[in-house]
Amino acid sequence: MDTHTEDGNTFNYFYGAINLIAIFLIVWFLWFVFMNPNTVMKLYTPMYGFSLVVALLAAIVLLKDIAGYYPFPERSSAAFGPVKRGLLLTIAAFLLMLFIVYLFFWGFIGKFGIAYFSPKSIIASGGMGAEIFNARENASTAIVYFLTAFLWIALFWNVGFGKWPWQQTNQGVIAWSRLFAVLFFSSIVYAIMFHPHVCYLFYPAQDKAGVLSWWEGLAGTASAFFGLGLVLCILFWIVASNLLWEGHPWKQYEKNGEGTGAKGFVAFILTFTLGVVILFVLLQIMNYFWYEPFTGGQYTDGADFRYIHAGEICGFFILAAYILKYYFNNFPNVKIFWLRTTLRTLLAIGGGMLFYWFYYSPLATFFLSKVPGIAQPGDTPLVFTILFLSVVMIQVDFFEGWPLRKN
Amino acid sequence: MKRRTFLKSLAATGAATSLSGTGLLTREANARGKVDFGEVKNVRIDVLSETSWFDNDNLKKHIVDYGGAMTNQYDIPWDWDNAGGYMALLTVTTLEGEERKILLDSGWNNDWVDYIYEMNNIPEMLKSGEIELMVLSHWHLDHYWGIESTLKHKPDIKMLAPKTYYPEDMKLLKGAHLTAKNKDGKDVHICKNDVPHTGELVLCDPNGDKGDGIYRLMPGVAVRNFDVPILLRVRGENVLYFNVKDKGIVTVTGCCHPGILSLFSYARRNFKGYKPYGCYGGLHITLFESWDPKFDDIIKGVKAFKIQKLACNHCTGWIWAEKAAAAGIPVVKGTDKYKNYKRQSTVAKASNAFLTNGDHIVF
Repeated sequence: MDTHTEDGNTFNYFYGAINLIAIFLIVWFLWFVFMNPNTVMKLYTPMYGFSLVVALLAAIVLLKDIAGYYPFPERSSAAFGPVKRGLLLTIAAFLLMLFIVYLFFWGFIGKFGIAYFSPKSIIASGGMGAEIFNARENASTAIVYFLTAFLWIALFWNVGFGKWPWQQTNQGVIAWSRLFAVLFFSSIVYAIMFHPHVCYLFYPAQDKAGVLSWWEGLAGTASAFFGLGLVLCILFWIVASNLLWEGHPWKQYEKNGEGTGAKGFVAFILTFTLGVVILFVLLQIMNYFWYEPFTGGQYTDGADFRYIHAGEICGFFILAAYILKYYFNNFPNVKIFWLRTTLRTLLAIGGGMLFYWFYYSPLATFFLSKVPGIAQPGDTPLVFTILFLSVVMIQVDFFEGWPLRKN
Repeated sequence: MKRRTFLKSLAATGAATSLSGTGLLTREANARGKVDFGEVKNVRIDVLSETSWFDNDNLKKHIVDYGGAMTNQYDIPWDWDNAGGYMALLTVTTLEGEERKILLDSGWNNDWVDYIYEMNNIPEMLKSGEIELMVLSHWHLDHYWGIESTLKHKPDIKMLAPKTYYPEDMKLLKGAHLTAKNKDGKDVHICKNDVPHTGELVLCDPNGDKGDGIYRLMPGVAVRNFDVPILLRVRGENVLYFNVKDKGIVTVTGCCHPGILSLFSYARRNFKGYKPYGCYGGLHITLFESWDPKFDDIIKGVKAFKIQKLACNHCTGWIWAEKAAAAGIPVVKGTDKYKNYKRQSTVAKASNAFLTNGDHIVF
């Protein structure tokens, strides 16, 4: 076993394992307080809690990948240690999460523009079913979709374009420019892939605002779970190439160590293609176990469920990739590039399947108060996965691995 | 068959394939071959009560205030005055012309259930044994917590219930008064049963009584257990299948959590000589008066099966029933009888798209 890190230092796998266990316990505690349906905050309704964890992840990605930590310190220093930096960034991410959900969507866009982003505006518009439960779930659904589009474009931009075309400017310009560019493209992705679904969450349908789901003939469902699943499948390859493949194969399109237009273009096309491929493969595997889905089927028979489930599986893979990279030193670090990247990818997939097994096992009933079984309406492992991922990223990126990372 | 080809053929021919349930072992179950469970001459369904609660917003508020759809139903201090219940009387006419009765579910609020039972002569039918058995569709409060109203007339009634019960469910069946804490920390009465069940309790699972997936109640009548997770921390639902001679298969459900198309598909895949004919029951679609594009999918899917009679109510949601009727699905309309009852649901609609309290249907 090679215990050396990519930068040549020795890696202690024992500390990595302890770190992972500690993170799991923190996630469990957070779930118990905020999400567990039988305890304190009970936010897992599910969409309300879903929107909050996605907003937290989006805030982390915004601070780290879009802003490059601007205006906060990019690295800890003697004067500004990892704990101080971690606390500052964590508080910033938390406040940003609150800002995104409650001020930006509920209080601004939903209040002055698009009603379905705000529960209050939905209720104010009246009509059948316009009360707090439906309204909050529907507004949360729209927020989840928008932030999914945001995460896709943000993570892709970081891996593909990097700082291009603003690499000659200062970090502040880069941060703001990337933010506006990512928001612009996220809005387009949202409008095309998710907005039609949200418009049909109401009765009567808001058919002057949104077209009938254009993907219905292709996907066998009018649900935007089709797009959600596809985006998550694409995200797996974006994360895998960034973390497990050391930035390859897009790295060859870099110029002076910076992203280029060509790099972004190639990365976008190929990750999209690979996303379609893994979605297809996962659907075939599900067809083997559960036969073909059909229009209008529910639970595992539903085409809509199959798409989001493919995304949920990729969510587990993404989480496992982060854990492999940061807690297990991107094992194995053998010299042959294709071998180590292939093995890491397989390990991430294997680790993801372990999470899958956990989530659908009696252990999740114990830890998460989840009803046993697959495809429960109103249950998605993405909430657990994203919460876990957020805590991992906070520890790894904000706290720089403190207190247990030993390089 | 390619996915798109399959979906197109589904729409074009009404053929549908799927498996039932959600377990990974369903392939094995389906490999056992098709089942013949006999035939009945007809089946009549009397809607005793499909009004499980009277004010939808009140029910939803309790769910929201106490943690959402996955909260344990025994932890919510429900508003007793808002509680009703779901019960149906199923009368089977055998091929020999004999009438045999089955009670489906036992409602929620004992006052409401007693009122409904008296209106329909259920106490006498229970005492005399005319009602042979009770099928509990699932352990949800509105189908089960009124169990005392049934047991006080027939404590030893034979019951079929999903095997996937929780300790509180069994505690209530054996006799208990249960409470939940409200936000002030005070205990609120949520359900009670002072008459322990003493009869045979058949706990159903997807294996069935002979390992072929179903429980045979009488010739032409079967119960199938679908082990699916359900909201409010409930799991598993029993569904009744009737094979009506010369007509086809009728599904009868409490809430149909597994999904109506999955029920049809199970029948198509597993029952010999399957012909789709009808369905009755809650279909669990737009119960909270919301919509979702996947509900349009269900309309398209049900249309593809070309069933002759669809009678729905309860958790189906009026919106879905009306949209389904408008889309050409043969939705059997109800009457205004429900207006004569002492209470009505706040979401009841003049379109009568539901077969509601006091109505009946014969398949």
